[in-house]
Amino acid sequence: MGFLNRMLLFSICTLGITAALVSAAEMPISHLYFQQEGEDFLVPDVALHDLEEVVEKPNTNQSVPLKSCKKEVSEEATGDLDDPLELEMDMQDMDLIADPLEPLNRVFFHFNDKLYFWFLKPISTGYGKVVPEVLRVSIRNFFENLSMPIRAVNCILQGDIKGFGTELSRFVVNSTLGVAGFGNPAKQLFGMDMQDEDLGQTFGLYGLGPAFYINWPVLGPSSVRDTIGLVGDSFLSPMYYAVDATKYKIAIKGYEMVNRTSLKIGDYESLKKAALDPYISLRDAYHQHRQHKIKE
Amino acid sequence: MAPKFFWAGTFFFVSIIAVSTLSQAGEPTESIRKTADRIIAIVSDPELQTSGKDVDEKKSHKDKLKKRNRLVREAVDERFDWEEMSRRTLARYWRDRTDDEKKEFIDLFGKLLERTYLDQVEGYSGEKVLYVGETVDGDYSVVRVKIITKKETEIPVKYRLKKKGNDWFVYDVIIEGVSLVNNYRTQFNTIIVRYKYKGLIKRLRAKVKTD
Repeated sequence: MGFLNRMLLFSICTLGITAALVSAAEMPISHLYFQQEGEDFLVPDVALHDLEEVVEKPNTNQSVPLKSCKKEVSEEATGDLDDPLELEMDMQDMDLIADPLEPLNRVFFHFNDKLYFWFLKPISTGYGKVVPEVLRVSIRNFFENLSMPIRAVNCILQGDIKGFGTELSRFVVNSTLGVAGFGNPAKQLFGMDMQDEDLGQTFGLYGLGPAFYINWPVLGPSSVRDTIGLVGDSFLSPMYYAVDATKYKIAIKGYEMVNRTSLKIGDYESLKKAALDPYISLRDAYHQHRQHKIKE
Repeated sequence: MAPKFFWAGTFFFVSIIAVSTLSQAGEPTESIRKTADRIIAIVSDPELQTSGKDVDEKKSHKDKLKKRNRLVREAVDERFDWEEMSRRTLARYWRDRTDDEKKEFIDLFGKLLERTYLDQVEGYSGEKVLYVGETVDGDYSVVRVKIITKKETEIPVKYRLKKKGNDWFVYDVIIEGVSLVNNYRTQFNTIIVRYKYKGLIKRLRAKVKTD
């Protein structure tokens, strides 16, 4: 119960902060367009002729925070099918995420790119050669099992009692039958799916938009709303209470990241290969994915 | 660093190469299944296996790969409506294009996608696909599948199809909620706004050329 009280208190505080940020983000943001140098978007120089375009198409690149989260249930039911008229729509109607920090975000994107190719990928590949895949999957399961409180509490916050029950049952089954969470019999034997809920999604369900996009160094794509959610969720992680020293926390997080990466080497490469502008592709994929998760 | 939604390491074609289990399904699902089975047959054809490690086999290995890629491309071309995809990706900029420009765009965009799905076919390692369901509304439909990887992850994929004549054609693929068309539309729109349509074509050409 201590978790729950703490969580409720925290979410009330953060709701206020997020609401303030969202309204700030809704204010018109003057758009600067940057000249691209070569394939790499890193060196932004303001080009005057591009600024003229702002006058012609003032809204094309501006996003509509909040709007997307107010989807009606009926819309969701038919949302799978496209109206042919949709073609005529303007980009204004598209669900985009605001990105006032784009130049800075691109710097971090570049940093993460290098971090991946220079460190994370070689380390994870080497690790993957030493540790068999079955074991790595088990380790991933173990960490996922540990973060049960985050998912369970957010199920409650979203009014999903059934999901809460599923998470608790999964935890019990996987911690016992699944030997401390290394196995996943809850899914394999009982067909119980993990309820992938977090505080960012809870906020989204409450009607809060993402405010704007943030591409954090190391952590990667996020938004104002989801970052606050992440901080809130971290108080629900058993690791927060079980491990004292920050350096050990970082070490465990780092190990988890290496383990997880070793199971999905090639994903980022695919995205990069398929994209004309990987930064935008990733930003849009993140946003679409989060919107989808909130609606689920 | 690499979150789960990252095209889920599948992009969109792993899902087409699939073993199906659902016995009852409508036309759209059948059309997806037909293409899937065809690609599976190509990939698992021993005649076209590309494992030749022998030096002598190197040349024939290359030929086999070429043939296999050509067959996969044919199968995919039959099921995908590249024009509809291009139209939706360019959205309002599509109308301003001349016929030649449209043709060029369809060609370049198709090549961009082709590189990606051929890679995925290459990396296919027995992922299973479950046909979950479909929704039909007039000439539009959605087929939902679930890819189950060997690493115990499930990836929900949706195909959007449009009926043309008597057959159904795919015009969008949605992986874990991320629509391929929307993703490219956002990228292309940003590039067009900043560098005009010419800038987009220039970048597309350069991208298709590089490896």
